[in-house]
Amino acid sequence: MIAFLLLGLAAFFGLFLLYPLCLMLGGTFFVEHSVGVNAAGKAITAHVFSLEYYRLVFENPFLQQCMINSLIIAIGTTLGCLILALPLAQLFLKYRFPGKAALGSLILVPLILPPFVGALGLKQLFSRFGSVNLLLEQLGIVNLHHPPDWFGSGGFFGIIVMLILHLYPIMFLSVQAAMANVDPSLKDAARNLGASGWRIFRTVTLPLSMPGIFAGTALVFVSAFTDLGVPLMFEFQTTIPSQIFYFVSQPGSPTGLVLVVLMLLLVGVVFALTRLFGQGDYAMMGRSATTTVEEPLRGFTAILVPVLIGGLILLSAIPHLGVILQSFSGKWFMTVLPEQWTTGAYRDILDFPLTVSSIRNSLLYSSASCVLDIVLGLTIAWLLSRANFFGKSLLDSISMLPLALPGLVLAFAYLSAFSIGPFLSIKWLTPRSDPTLLLVIAYTVHRLPYMVRAACAGFQQTAVTLEEASINLGASRLMTFRKITSPLIAANLAAGIILAFSFAMLDVSNGMILAQEEPRYPMTKAIFALMGRITPNAPSIACAMGVLAMILLGISLYASSRMMGKSMGRLFKV
Amino acid sequence: MKISLQGIKKSFGDTAVVKDVSLEIPCGEMFFLLGPSGCGKTTLLRMLSGLIDVDEGEISFGERRINDVPANQRNCALVFQNYAIWPHLTVFENVAYGLRVRKIAEPELRQRVMEVLEQVRMSSHATRKPTTLSGGQQQRVALARAIVVQPDLLLFDEPLSNLDARLRLEMREEIQRLHELHPITSVYVTHDQEEALSLADRIAVMQGGVIEQIGTPFELYNKPENPFVASFMGEVNFFSVKNSAIGKKLVEQTSLPARGLIGFRPERVSICTEGGISAKVEHATYLGSKNKLSLKTETGEAVAAWTQDFFPAGATIQIRIASSHLLHYPDKESP
Repeated sequence: MIAFLLLGLAAFFGLFLLYPLCLMLGGTFFVEHSVGVNAAGKAITAHVFSLEYYRLVFENPFLQQCMINSLIIAIGTTLGCLILALPLAQLFLKYRFPGKAALGSLILVPLILPPFVGALGLKQLFSRFGSVNLLLEQLGIVNLHHPPDWFGSGGFFGIIVMLILHLYPIMFLSVQAAMANVDPSLKDAARNLGASGWRIFRTVTLPLSMPGIFAGTALVFVSAFTDLGVPLMFEFQTTIPSQIFYFVSQPGSPTGLVLVVLMLLLVGVVFALTRLFGQGDYAMMGRSATTTVEEPLRGFTAILVPVLIGGLILLSAIPHLGVILQSFSGKWFMTVLPEQWTTGAYRDILDFPLTVSSIRNSLLYSSASCVLDIVLGLTIAWLLSRANFFGKSLLDSISMLPLALPGLVLAFAYLSAFSIGPFLSIKWLTPRSDPTLLLVIAYTVHRLPYMVRAACAGFQQTAVTLEEASINLGASRLMTFRKITSPLIAANLAAGIILAFSFAMLDVSNGMILAQEEPRYPMTKAIFALMGRITPNAPSIACAMGVLAMILLGISLYASSRMMGKSMGRLFKV
Repeated sequence: MKISLQGIKKSFGDTAVVKDVSLEIPCGEMFFLLGPSGCGKTTLLRMLSGLIDVDEGEISFGERRINDVPANQRNCALVFQNYAIWPHLTVFENVAYGLRVRKIAEPELRQRVMEVLEQVRMSSHATRKPTTLSGGQQQRVALARAIVVQPDLLLFDEPLSNLDARLRLEMREEIQRLHELHPITSVYVTHDQEEALSLADRIAVMQGGVIEQIGTPFELYNKPENPFVASFMGEVNFFSVKNSAIGKKLVEQTSLPARGLIGFRPERVSICTEGGISAKVEHATYLGSKNKLSLKTETGEAVAAWTQDFFPAGATIQIRIASSHLLHYPDKESP
């Protein structure tokens, strides 16, 4: 039974994870060289190991600029997130202030707002002739002949700002969880020895919460570096993800492959560094029973702190407010606010063939990937938590591998692996003819770690003795699973399913790369396609789709957090 | 049902946990497996339940060899240490589970479940979810769930170790009462010798995967076959016959061979006015029903004694131990 399951999993991971990745890696290291001439005068070629392709990429000044830009975007975003998250986490940990609980959940809101949709709104509000400049012009501050460029150099700062606004909650969750884990008695000991608040933070809290901070930093850095949607929305070409997307249309070109491999390498290095530096083994110390006592804030600060936090939350929602405005606007050109209001865009969603098919596609891809995720996730989680076999840690690592795999990388690997050779004749496996299966599998593989984690947590919370008690009373394994195990892990599974579903609905990279024909587009790619249309109300329809997407993600994340009944932070850990 | 184990062996990896255990448990007996943690008692119990396989040897229920019978077809009900009450089912459904598996018709099922809930005094909680119950109440439900299926064998895996001292006494009586009501052959695992002494028909004391001694509570306490059993069943003073003055003196008053280990339990120490062993009270603890004395003899040897009369620290007393209460192991040099 176990051997059978393992064989199935090995085949799945082999074909849809290791094979495409290895093929992609190989493709970048082996260069076709002419090694002679045959009798008919044709060149004989052979694949020779070479770093030629890498040299070409590194010597290309344009690609150099792309790398520098992407690094700056990632570093800038990470620093921005740290600057926001560290004080926020301290405030939430140490003090009690009015509205704390509400602000604590609201602060997570940006997470549920898809960043590329936000970019759309940000553009509407802050572009050269956007609402903000027009408002300032009316106030006599700005001259529209030389409007200030808020995004700087073609949207560069816009990208960083958008990514910070989207990603700081992840950093906040990681940092807060880490700081909350620091034994309060350690801080008390420092205070008892005469250390002041700032000194305690610097010498005790910060070093002890380093593992969590590293984890958050790595996650934000990688997300920012590999994000495709935001630069695309800003039409900013000189980043690595934009270039990778550009090379999708040239599947033979090794340059795209090299860029993907470099990206993978960087992500690998970042996560390896996190592992190396981020794992202080402080767990061996017994934790005292004391808990952190929250001090109430008094007087002026009691008002200032919630106002500041509320302001930050509002700020991070501004892009999406722009999207909502646009989606209801009839005519919005060179005015601060739309001139006409209408719900026409929402009606148009139902009339447009592209939007209708994309919604249908997204629902199909997402629900199919959910089903596959449940089957695989449950199987793997069961094997990991209830069975004993050789290679258990290998299975664990492989099923967690997609966490470190940017969407862009896997999608690109699929595209290059399944568009050639033997697969061309298999219609449903070739992205160009029918991307459905590959998209479903790409979504599945990406969300598999979350599903495995959720199911494993369920299995761990369910004491083995509960299952043994059932067997002992005469129930079969199947009946035990049906009557005892599955009801007990149902909540965890549901949470995993909802997460998998909503992330699949709003995934950008896989859809952008693998869905190549309009009737196959998922919602996200349809939004991008609509933005490029000249039809006057296309942007409004795109925004309406974006609003739809936000509502969907919001509902499902809320539901999953209710069902998990635990801090959402756990789901976003590396 | 009669249970028999023949030459049972079990290893986990390289560690032999159960080494060649053979047992016969007659029908209706309350049989105890007693020993320190890691002695293999729980492993033995789980092999009986079928939750783990036997490496070597044979287990029979009645005349039937059940080595290869899967755990869910053995009809032996296990009462778990952590209760293992299913949190998503009501008390009634928890107890009814085994009957539903056995496809008992609804009216009979309802009647049997309520009857057994009555017996464990939980019938008023039938519709409650177990999460609202206390530890003692959960253990009652677990007992009811095990008894209701009328198993051939009842297994107890340290069922009282998660309860506080007062509840433990209460549940001990509960189990005794239920066993009289349902005289099902039972195997009970514990490390608490008091629990074993008070409940068992017979006890097997285990250590390092082997059975040291099988007997009634009286035999194990008063006639332990080796120093390990003696000290596991209760406090005991041991002296080397060769190297200790008390040891020599104790052996002299009997016809026992002058070698090995000799000892006695602290409550067997009696006070005399002359001719005894002279000892000074080092510490005295007053416990109400008895006094615990730490004595030091003239030759500097420590003796623990429980006496009815109180002697303050510093007092010098004479003690003696009747020959019939001496424990002598001629082939052992140290406990």
